[in-house]
Amino acid sequence: MTPAAPVAASAGTTPAAGGLLAPADLTPGRRTWRAFSRNPLGMISLAIILVMAVVAIAAPLLAKFPSGYGRDILMPPSAAHPFGTDDLGRDVLAQVIWGTRISMIIAFAASFLAILIGVALGVLAAYAKRLDGIVSTLVDVSLALPVLPLMILVAALIGPSVTTLVVVIALFSWPEVTRIVRSQALSVTRLPYVDAARTIGGSHFWIMTRHILPAVAPIIVVSVVLTASRAVLSEAGLSFLGLGDPESWSWGKILYNAQRSGALTIAWWCTLFPSIAILLLVVSATLVSIAYNDARNPKTREN
Amino acid sequence: MIRKITNALTRRAVLMGGVVMAIGMAGIGAVSAQDAATRIVIGTTADVVNYNPLVGNSRSDTWVTNLMYPRLMQMTPAGSKDPYVALDWGYSEDGLSAWMEIRDDMTWSDGTPFTADDIVFTITAVTTEKIGVTAGLIPSFVSATAVSPTRVEFVLSRPDSTFLTNFGFWMPIVPKHAFPEIGSVGTFANDSNWVSAGPFLLTEVERGQRYLLKAVENYPLVETGRANIDEVEFRVFPDVNAQALALRAGDLDIIANALPAPIARTLQGQPNITVAQAPSLGWAHMLYNLQRAPLDNVLVRRALAHAVDYDAIRGIAMQGLAESTNSSVISPVLSYWADPEAKEYAFDPELSKQLLTEAGYTDADGDGFFDNLSLSLLYEQSAADIANWAQIVKDSSAQAGIRIELVGLERNTYLARAREQKDFDIYAGTWAVMEEPAAYLGLAFRTGAFINYASVSDPQLEAYINEAQAATSPEAARVPVQAAAKLIQDQVYDNVLYYQTFQFAYNSERWENFVIQPSDLLSLVNPLSLASVTSKN
Amino acid sequence: MHLTGYFLQRLLRGLVTFWFAVTVTFFLVRLLPGDPVSAVASPSMTEEIRQRQLEVYGLDRPLLAQYFAYLGQLVQGNLGISFLSSQPVSKILMERLPWTLLLTGTALVVTVLLGIPLGVLAATRARGWVDQIVQVSGVIGQSLFVPSIGIFLLYTLGLLAGWFPIGGAVKSDLTGFARIASIAHHLVLPCLTLVMAQLAGYVLTLRATLIEALGEEYCDLARAKGTPESKVIWKHALRNALLPTTTLIGLQIGFLVGGAVLTETIYAYPGVGRAIFEAVGQLDFPVLQGAFVLLAATVVIANLVTDMAYGLLDPRVRAG
Repeated sequence: MTPAAPVAASAGTTPAAGGLLAPADLTPGRRTWRAFSRNPLGMISLAIILVMAVVAIAAPLLAKFPSGYGRDILMPPSAAHPFGTDDLGRDVLAQVIWGTRISMIIAFAASFLAILIGVALGVLAAYAKRLDGIVSTLVDVSLALPVLPLMILVAALIGPSVTTLVVVIALFSWPEVTRIVRSQALSVTRLPYVDAARTIGGSHFWIMTRHILPAVAPIIVVSVVLTASRAVLSEAGLSFLGLGDPESWSWGKILYNAQRSGALTIAWWCTLFPSIAILLLVVSATLVSIAYNDARNPKTREN
Repeated sequence: MIRKITNALTRRAVLMGGVVMAIGMAGIGAVSAQDAATRIVIGTTADVVNYNPLVGNSRSDTWVTNLMYPRLMQMTPAGSKDPYVALDWGYSEDGLSAWMEIRDDMTWSDGTPFTADDIVFTITAVTTEKIGVTAGLIPSFVSATAVSPTRVEFVLSRPDSTFLTNFGFWMPIVPKHAFPEIGSVGTFANDSNWVSAGPFLLTEVERGQRYLLKAVENYPLVETGRANIDEVEFRVFPDVNAQALALRAGDLDIIANALPAPIARTLQGQPNITVAQAPSLGWAHMLYNLQRAPLDNVLVRRALAHAVDYDAIRGIAMQGLAESTNSSVISPVLSYWADPEAKEYAFDPELSKQLLTEAGYTDADGDGFFDNLSLSLLYEQSAADIANWAQIVKDSSAQAGIRIELVGLERNTYLARAREQKDFDIYAGTWAVMEEPAAYLGLAFRTGAFINYASVSDPQLEAYINEAQAATSPEAARVPVQAAAKLIQDQVYDNVLYYQTFQFAYNSERWENFVIQPSDLLSLVNPLSLASVTSKN
Repeated sequence: MHLTGYFLQRLLRGLVTFWFAVTVTFFLVRLLPGDPVSAVASPSMTEEIRQRQLEVYGLDRPLLAQYFAYLGQLVQGNLGISFLSSQPVSKILMERLPWTLLLTGTALVVTVLLGIPLGVLAATRARGWVDQIVQVSGVIGQSLFVPSIGIFLLYTLGLLAGWFPIGGAVKSDLTGFARIASIAHHLVLPCLTLVMAQLAGYVLTLRATLIEALGEEYCDLARAKGTPESKVIWKHALRNALLPTTTLIGLQIGFLVGGAVLTETIYAYPGVGRAIFEAVGQLDFPVLQGAFVLLAATVVIANLVTDMAYGLLDPRVRAG
């Protein structure tokens, strides 16, 4: 369902130097930001993500938790219900708002977990030559597994809940992160100053956290956003197959409800609005990471 | 039920006996002599899992195998049984033996005659190997003998007025000559070289896609002596929404599964499509796990029963396509058995609170919920209706200060939790067909019975059930049946919410003369219906 | 010689991957909640029958013994017997595998064929409006939720326009060319859906690598020699830029083969992914396990092929 991240792949091929070639007048971070802020697509996308984050945080202020039942079943959008109602007469707008919350929580929690595992293994593999073979093989092998069916299997057997979704998505998303982080970190470990740190007897942990980690930080930023955006799609897919949390609202669950009750083609508002929400978040996240990559890369930045 | 069937039944009467309602105009048998074979295409949402009719338990399994392995009796809309393959039946004076006469003109599609031997083989295999739910329906069975090709005699361990009709309707008969020996019948896959004694024979399978059946030449149970159409094709559409689009586009002729209300409503507006309704002989209910505290306390169960908004469930979740059974396990559809005195539990959150306070519960932290009272509600996630009313139960229970946690699972995980592991507080589900009170009360409420998920064990209730099953006349059975139902309602051993009206859709521009039968297992795709249907051009 | 070593190493890795997939799924299936015993034997059975049922499916033995027995069976090409239908797993799945291969294979080929020219277009007009359109539409395609777009396409192009059949893989009773045409006709919408989901990956990867390649010295050299720009792009730069794309194909196959579950569900397409989803619901462990084995085998073989292609394409590998 979710293809490998395009930008992640291209990120792996961009020169490693991004964060290191600091010109005299500006810090690299500021320079990247200046380039980023000149990219309209990136800025719009960032704004969309921020708005969604605000919606997610402020959900309780924006709408009542969609529970209960009403007599107005499957009503098209109206003043009282701007996004219409579902087959139990619940407000779809409220569902989308609360869905934003759960979808984003799952996306970022899963992404955070995956990044944690991915970065730890990636840095370790790049730094400790003896572990590299094992980690690389593990990554290659895990990347070859049919991911969605495995997610379905684990989610179905453990039982549906938000935690299950987070763990399951994270469990099958880390190899991609490890792969990218490792290749980036490898180019750093070969740099003279790491060797220098080693010769003056810095502890392994110190070298890894002080020298290697900052060098791969930009890659991590990109990975967080991309893994999260893919997690949104994975979550929606699993929920759509009936493996979502029955007690909370996510965008996938709204679509699943519409599918199950046969409203998918009949009540377009039950389908359209959550679909657009998914689309907006995933597109924005991807465009932000593309823009960030471009802004960070001196070659594309100059134009 | 004991019934006297006169031998004066003509073939016509046999035919019409099971007819609930013939849809469309009774066209003059327009079996056209065209070159092209007439084929009806039926949509289903799932593949056939098991071709062995004694084992398969999904709807698709039943729809396909029903067309090949006949049941001996037919069900009427009120749940009683009419002759079909069996012409006549009865019990001895002492009730310890029973007999059945069957037609003499039936054959299997490979030419082997369909005889009493097949019946003896089937019932012996089912009871010896304890296959499926049918085995549990005939606990009084001891042995069967084919005394002639058309007569079977049974020995029973005790008088059991439900034995013949349960066995007659619920057990599809399988061919002795094409099945393995008793002992391996239950594990027999029956996945090729089928033989059929029904109107059609399965000839081609493309898993995930289609199942093709061809008409067999000898099907004496319809007037024409064989099905009017030549072929039946089942096509698998996992998603009901796409399935409905296929019906509208003309790619499908019927949808076998009952339709969700929104789809039925939209299809009703299409010029070439007719939506037919069939009553359900089963009901939807909630069971409270009596093995677990605090559900072993009748006060808690009563509190739960009064915290359900029954009207909302029928009006909103079921969109009006459901009727109350007055909280009785005997639905008013079974008019002879139903107790007119029965009254539904009132939806009264205040009464619930009062009952719970009486049971010792308090709300010390003042959060609007009773402390230490949180119950899980187990249901099948993909069943839209139930998932919807589970939500309503949760919300209306909250009004009475009862916290309910929804546990929606995949079908088999759900069944395993309910049936094998008894791992639930409240179970929500449906029984598809509950037509013989004396029989199903035993199946559902005897200690350790097959579908007694709630672990009910009540000597008084069992005494009523025994009395009803041993009764030699319907009159004698009605009293204990109603007493049992009343006891179940008082003790809240079962909380029946409604019985449903199913909706089925078909292309009425092309097809007519379906015979709709009760329940979604039979509906439009029962053997008689598909043998009778005719093409309009 | 180096090439042979490389191939052998890849083959070994393929075998390890396959074993890993089999092992992971074997233990996942059995260690997670959900009791296989309850799927094949009910408590209402007599002890004798119950015991025999467990023996039939090998569930009476310890887990490790079951695992090695399974590996043994697998080496002989035996995938076991389905719990629910009593049929051989290979029979159940082999009817579906060709459809999965057809759908995902076609989708992959179409994606690559569209992805390369679009990637070149975007790279040669980097930062221009063509580039922006290609990028944004690619990203949108990849971000669409499959069921949403699926049901939309079925409704508009299938029902309203009537151009495409609604669901299924082929119209029944056709032979010869008519059958092939029907298969192709049914393939269009599901394939389109999968292509939309993947295209951006290839376009963006190719774009990024091509932009870099075009700035390399050998391209400048070619230009200095008076080679026309189109030849520089298509002959010199693309050859190098294709390598990461090849890697991406290998990476994507895993996603693609198993990831078509949603597409298969909406379009009623009889693939293996859908079979897995159904088997999960039915706790039919042998079918589940078998499906994972087949998918893993497909992915491993496909990866071997791309690895070989990579080996032949990349001079560095050839040189060792």
